[in-house]
Amino acid sequence: MILVVGGLASGKRSYVRSLGYDDEQMGSNVWDGNPVLVELEELLRTGPLDDAAFAHVASRDVVCCCEVGMGVVPMDAGERIWRERVGRTCGKLASEATRVVRMVCGIPTIIKDGDIA
Amino acid sequence: MRALVVGGSGSGKSAYAERLVARLSPHRTYVATMRDDGPEASERILRHRSQRAGLGFITVECPDSLMAACQGSTDGVVLVDDLGNLVANALFAPDGTMADAQTVLERLLREIDTLSQSYQHVVLVGNEVGAEGRYPYAETNAWVRVIGALNCRIAASFDEVTEVVSGIACPVKGVLA
Repeated sequence: MILVVGGLASGKRSYVRSLGYDDEQMGSNVWDGNPVLVELEELLRTGPLDDAAFAHVASRDVVCCCEVGMGVVPMDAGERIWRERVGRTCGKLASEATRVVRMVCGIPTIIKDGDIA
Repeated sequence: MRALVVGGSGSGKSAYAERLVARLSPHRTYVATMRDDGPEASERILRHRSQRAGLGFITVECPDSLMAACQGSTDGVVLVDDLGNLVANALFAPDGTMADAQTVLERLLREIDTLSQSYQHVVLVGNEVGAEGRYPYAETNAWVRVIGALNCRIAASFDEVTEVVSGIACPVKGVLA
């Protein structure tokens, strides 16, 4: 699985398209059967992924997630719990990913590739 | 040479961009982008002007359009600091109305193209503001999305892209990357 992280509008989907996937292959539900999962951060609004859901997400070709948690700590407690959850989930996915890509200005920066991390 | 420098607030991106500009040419034009809309802005503008004093810049005030800076000498370098102000000024009118995001994006890209034809070197200071994901306000999200799209489009055609983190220039694209 390739994990693609980056800020809002940083070029994540464009990178996925460059891998050969089209928009019809991208979905934002755990069980939609698409090879590419996008907007993982929104899936985590309601709570953490249970083990089965996590395993299913981790079995995708590509997972895209907005990188959150680098700005000001939100005033709202729910937002604080959510961004922490997004960060922890990305960390777990990254440890299982074969490649982790961080998008900066639409340019993929490879932060993990194979066993070199 | 065309370079895009991005980074968060207070990351040191302007200081890095000024060092880069100093290396590129002695003929330096500074494009100031802040809209002077009150005493706080006026004070900031004055502070920035005194910071640049002695660095050999000709300053052009361009809060609304880059076109006023497009009559420069072709052997010189132009520094635009920063794109976030330009996007905000183009997107949000003083009367509170909001312009169409796509129109703003395309216009700014055209102006950057014209600027690139007017100078030998172009250094743009951009902003890395997408890192917190979505905001609860539609206006803020529109601003973040235009900046993100602008960064992606500029980075695709420019020679160098640098992300400044804690004052350290991290190469993303170009000879150093």
